[in-house]
Amino acid sequence: MNKNTKRILAVVGASALTIGALVSTSAQAAVTSVSLVFQGPLSGSDALAGQDELLGTLTALQMYNDSKPAVKVTLVKADDQGDPSVAGPVSQGIATNKSVVGIIGSAYSGATIASFPAYKAAGIPMVSQSATRATLTDPKASDNGFPIFHRVVPPDSVQGPALVRWATEGVSSPKVYVLDDLQTYSTGLVGFMAPQLAKQGITGVVYSHQPKGTTDYTSEVSKIKASGANVVIYAGYYAEAGPLAKALKDGGYKGVFASGDGTVNAGFVTGAGAAAAEGARLTAPDFPFSGVANAAQKAAYTKATGEPISKADSHTYVVSSFDATNVFLTCIKAGKLTRPAIQNCINSGTFDSMSGVKLKFGRYGDVVGGAPIGGFKVVGGVITYVAAK
Amino acid sequence: MNFSVVTSQFWPLLINGLAVGLIYVLISLGYTMVYGVLRLINFANSEIFMVGTFATVIVTRDVFHYTSAHDALHGWKLIASLLLLLIASMLFSGVTAVLVELVAYRRLRSKGTNRLASLISAIGTSIMISEGVRILTKSAPVPTPRLLSKFNLFTIGSVAIRIDTFMVIIAAALIFFLVDRFVTKTLLGKAIRAVSMSEETSKLMGINLNRVISATFLIGGLVTGAAAFLYMQVYENTVFNIGFNLGLAAFTAAVLGGIGNIRGAFYGGLTLGLFEQFASAVIGGQWKAVTVFTVLVLVLLFRPNGLFGEAIQQSRV
Repeated sequence: MNKNTKRILAVVGASALTIGALVSTSAQAAVTSVSLVFQGPLSGSDALAGQDELLGTLTALQMYNDSKPAVKVTLVKADDQGDPSVAGPVSQGIATNKSVVGIIGSAYSGATIASFPAYKAAGIPMVSQSATRATLTDPKASDNGFPIFHRVVPPDSVQGPALVRWATEGVSSPKVYVLDDLQTYSTGLVGFMAPQLAKQGITGVVYSHQPKGTTDYTSEVSKIKASGANVVIYAGYYAEAGPLAKALKDGGYKGVFASGDGTVNAGFVTGAGAAAAEGARLTAPDFPFSGVANAAQKAAYTKATGEPISKADSHTYVVSSFDATNVFLTCIKAGKLTRPAIQNCINSGTFDSMSGVKLKFGRYGDVVGGAPIGGFKVVGGVITYVAAK
Repeated sequence: MNFSVVTSQFWPLLINGLAVGLIYVLISLGYTMVYGVLRLINFANSEIFMVGTFATVIVTRDVFHYTSAHDALHGWKLIASLLLLLIASMLFSGVTAVLVELVAYRRLRSKGTNRLASLISAIGTSIMISEGVRILTKSAPVPTPRLLSKFNLFTIGSVAIRIDTFMVIIAAALIFFLVDRFVTKTLLGKAIRAVSMSEETSKLMGINLNRVISATFLIGGLVTGAAAFLYMQVYENTVFNIGFNLGLAAFTAAVLGGIGNIRGAFYGGLTLGLFEQFASAVIGGQWKAVTVFTVLVLVLLFRPNGLFGEAIQQSRV
């Protein structure tokens, strides 16, 4: 290679590097919009749960858009039906969308686990509003979501004991019957009830299972009656909890019916009928929207959803969805517009929640310091917040 | 395993098993009758059932204007309302079944296409109906207002028989008896059986094949609609995919009894209903499907025509 050739190559190389740098810089500067994904059940038997949560996300986005931001955020709705077998393919499709910088969700624990492979491979950070299975943030568990998974709600290791306390509160000589639907969320929740039951000195607990999708609970009611239980705790979702509560009432059961956050949905009362649902004790790491939202948030809710604020409390996980969405929006406002930048922002930042508590995520994705569990009761056909449990 | 529940809850399990089993019997008739004349599984039968459940809700809520705030009905008003609901549910399901035959089967049959084309066409129609209802209902479970107060009608020994369970057992058994008599004793019934035995010979004997097949779909749909009505009186809830599990169970019952055989559907449905109840109570609900299908596979290994298939060939559809 002679001197001239070297010179020409050097000039071409330098030019190429300069052009490359310029293109790269202009490409960075050109990012004016990103996408966030809301993932949850938007169809199928659990659709009401996802549709409820979506309201919180829409409210947060409304406030973001009203602030005339420099970066436009597009919301992509990913319907995983709360079903792991659907969530796998859905997440694979989402992961290929280059504009997606974060996942609000998934709503259900099983669907969350099924989504991990795609999102971990693509490095897309997740902040769930309602996936409560403890193993999702357990470093020893094989199905944990480290390093991409975070959640704004406390895990079932907090909710399980709270549910037992609330279910048995004021019941003399409680005889407990625990029924689950064999789903990832439910079996996890049941696992955290046993220590609390033992702690309260409750023995002779019967554990039983009826798969999700069951419509006929008559044989289970026979078993419950045979066991002499006066407290039935159901770990599952509202679509099955409604028919179960109705079958219990029609079968002559007169004890306490209790369930976790999967049942805190107006669909439970609709499915059970107001009479059968009356008095049911429920828990959820969730609080009534109207109780914690400020005036601006309430106005944004009505603007985003078209619903009067009086209806907001009938929906579940609106507050936590608002908080999960806000984690991403805060990072985007701070100019973090790539998946790694947002991941770092979530790991290191501190975020405002609707209730005023500052959210800071621990290494494995749970909020440092935890959060209380809300106790609810069906009163007059309405799921009513009672107190923190 | 909890065998003690069988001794303490034997009669409630038996009564509930009979009620569930008889609902399976009626739904399985929809499968078995169509199979008898076309040698095809009508996969849309589960959606025909679902349409019947929604017909019950719509008529109760939007025609009778009953709401959950109303008190349950009594006397003649109750009987008239239940009869009208039964008729409405049967009509909706019957018409849907005939439309399914026209859309999914007839044209393909007239073109002499492969049977698999009809099978796929029926699955497609089934999905279309199900998804259509899903969109209309936004996937939400839909309850029906309670017309029938769930009181104990009478007590045998220590066992209380609830009015809705009693009604299901009596009505379903009666409907099955009427269908069986219809198929064995009437001219149309004979034509259906003739087509079932040999399509070609039936044509040569002057039987209008299309009319007989449509009539078979209609009868299957009417009976499935009756099952939907009875189901709603007990469980009072429906959803767009309600037919999936029940349809699968009813189809299993039809195969267990000997598909294509009306009385086989009866025995298959009852066997399945009772087995499910007791297996669920003793082994646990999570094993219900496993045990049922294990038994089905074992039965088919030794009796490929189903449990009662060979013994009652005479009553084949």
